Amino acid sequence: MSPHLEVVANESVATITVAALSKRFPNGTLAVDDVSFTVPEGQVVGLLGLSGSGKSTLMRLINGLHTPTSGTVNAIGVDVGLAKPAELRELRRHMGFIFQQFGLVGRATCLENVLIGSLGRLKGPRIGIRTYPKALRVMALERLDRVGLGAQAFQRAETLSGGQMQRVAIARSLMQEPKVLLADEPVASLDPESSNQVLDLISTIAREDGMTVLCSLHQVELAIGRTDRLIGLRDGKIVLDQMTAGIDPGVVMDLYRRHGTSDEVREASYA
Amino acid sequence: MSATVQARRTTPALTPQYFLKIASVVAGFVAVWWAWNRLNMSVLSFFDDLQNVVNLFKRMYPPNFSDTDRIISLTLETLWIALLGTFGAVILSYPLAIGAAANTTKHPTIRFICRSIITLSRAVPELILAAIFVVAYGPGPFCGILALAVHSIGMIGRLFSDAIEEASETSGEAVTSVGATRRQRIRSAVIPQALPSFIATALFRLEINIRGSAVLGLVGAGGIGQLISESLETIQYKPALAAVAVVFVVILIVELVSTSIRQSLIGEAATQQQNKQRGWLSSFINRRDASLNKTAYEKRAISAPWTTERVFRATAFLFFLVLLFLAISTVNIEWGYVAQNTHKMGTVLRQMFPPGAGGESSLLIKGLVESLAISIVSTFIGVLVALPLGVLMARNINVRRFFSFGTRIGVLALRGIPELIIAVIFVSAMGLGPVPGTLALSVTVAVFAAKLFADSLEEVNPAPREAVAAVGASKVQEFFAAVVPQFISPFVSNLFYLLDVFFRSSTVLGIVGGGGIGYLLIQSIKVYQFKITMAIVISIYLIVLVIEWLGLGMRRLFK
Repeated sequence: MSPHLEVVANESVATITVAALSKRFPNGTLAVDDVSFTVPEGQVVGLLGLSGSGKSTLMRLINGLHTPTSGTVNAIGVDVGLAKPAELRELRRHMGFIFQQFGLVGRATCLENVLIGSLGRLKGPRIGIRTYPKALRVMALERLDRVGLGAQAFQRAETLSGGQMQRVAIARSLMQEPKVLLADEPVASLDPESSNQVLDLISTIAREDGMTVLCSLHQVELAIGRTDRLIGLRDGKIVLDQMTAGIDPGVVMDLYRRHGTSDEVREASYA
Repeated sequence: MSATVQARRTTPALTPQYFLKIASVVAGFVAVWWAWNRLNMSVLSFFDDLQNVVNLFKRMYPPNFSDTDRIISLTLETLWIALLGTFGAVILSYPLAIGAAANTTKHPTIRFICRSIITLSRAVPELILAAIFVVAYGPGPFCGILALAVHSIGMIGRLFSDAIEEASETSGEAVTSVGATRRQRIRSAVIPQALPSFIATALFRLEINIRGSAVLGLVGAGGIGQLISESLETIQYKPALAAVAVVFVVILIVELVSTSIRQSLIGEAATQQQNKQRGWLSSFINRRDASLNKTAYEKRAISAPWTTERVFRATAFLFFLVLLFLAISTVNIEWGYVAQNTHKMGTVLRQMFPPGAGGESSLLIKGLVESLAISIVSTFIGVLVALPLGVLMARNINVRRFFSFGTRIGVLALRGIPELIIAVIFVSAMGLGPVPGTLALSVTVAVFAAKLFADSLEEVNPAPREAVAAVGASKVQEFFAAVVPQFISPFVSNLFYLLDVFFRSSTVLGIVGGGGIGYLLIQSIKVYQFKITMAIVISIYLIVLVIEWLGLGMRRLFK
């Protein structure tokens, strides 16, 4: 770890600032269109919008998996768009990312999948549990306990249910001891019961650890009671930004309704 | 009203595409007719030829195993050459595959270079590589190992990079998202996903290489092929049959073991097996593993418990290490001599350039044309035999399990014999020339194609068959109405694959006197005319490219 980056990690506040951010893909799609907002430290933000509204792209821009076409992203004091590869890796070490498709290595055990979360701190490639230091293995086991899957530590990830897989992915993020957690549609491929479990887990952990969270969802109901603030995206633009407490669900529904009148769209929003 | 009915077509219109289809089928038969006449083949003489082969076998029987020590040591050498050659190819292919796969290498130039190395290493037949190495390093198993290692990169590298590209992108992204480097991402997310496929590929190539290493002896690169060719040259047929029989049995055993391991590693069978509870043994294993996992959890273990699967994997790995150690310590390689002669390899390589026919261009063209004719005729004969065999073998077509099973066993057994060994036997029985070579290759095409056809037939969608059966069609009607139309597209693509594979094979038949370009090829190496060698290799490669290009067009046409 270089001393410069150490400073970045310790002194900067875990905020996300997005200013006039746009992203146009090579095929011409304008996925994110002039978006600006600031998430203060410790805030849990729900990012709402239909599929294709630009939520995933926005998340990836914050994490540096995509580079902005114009505008800036500042996360934990680092300008993501300008960061060099090593700086970007250092930033990512402090930023957890939860994927809709979990991103687990199916053939590896749960413990090994959690250990992957510590790769940013280690030098060189690892393959197999034994190549990780003992202290990290103990830590990974604790992270698995925290998501309630300690007993499955040596089971292959591919043998778990969807909800369990997402919990292993959360444990992997916890392994990073992140200041910021980005969750990109974490429950879109889960059944309602697992969805509730996973979202409760994310919001509990976020509050206990004081993490700044940006979590994209396409159901309003799931966000209420679990988030501090809601940001709505449509066609890459912000169409809603207000605190969750006392929000009028009708206003949020409007976000979807104005998009189109087809039954398909409405079903997607109520599903 | 009746006028309009009459005016409507009841046969499809002759669209340009339809015309092209008919034209290409006609062209195919014209090519077979041309090649047939070029080789002076005759159906009548088949019976004489068959009689000659039967007579030879009569003279060979009973096999003479008296030279037991030599048979055993050469058989082991054959196995070790194949093992070390495959291992070498795996070691070389791993970095090349990572460099060639789009999801592990972003730089297009590096990718292009790695891909080109992989493709080019397949261009030269392993026997030719071995013959060239023998010139540089002197005869011995080292040349065989090196030849197999270089040639196998073509297949292993290709399949490895395919496996890497199949690894799920999200797992990789997830690893990147925690701040991991590119190398960490490859090792943590990509390699674990590709590993079963890697092992299956390596085993599959090992099977092929054991067949290959059995004939390396023909050019002095070690293994049992030496014994076979020596015995046949000195007309000692009984020891020759003994050696052939040993090769046959060893290949069959390796193939059976390797196939069962491969099936448990990949494919549908693998997942089915894992999910199935089978009898007292699996319930015992499950209980044991569950209690091990429970203890591990209670003791807060931080390394995986020794579950049955882990014990099995570790044993397999140890077994492989022991084999590798045995191979390295047994194979007779004089490393000092190899090191001394490395510069000779450089000289040989330099002498290959610029490639040229060196006054032998008429022989070169004649040989290439003959090889092409041999591959066309043997593909034709082989496919004719393979079609009924494939139908018999396909488990979803054949009503009687007995026939399906019997044909499978027969084809599997014959598949094991390398085509050059069949060619050696046929040449001994019928004399030198392209006809025995063609017939020998036809046997290999037939068994190889039968398996391909059976696999394609088994992939046929069952729904249309049920629909046809539901209207009251007979079994035969059902076959032609619902199975054959689905089979045409894979048939065309298999046909050109066969032509590609067996054109390559036909270029080495000349080594044993079976006709084609192989004779000039091996002579040019023996008399150090490496410019000619290179010219032939390039010509072969170009013809293979043309065949592949034709195949691509035909696959599109018959889609």
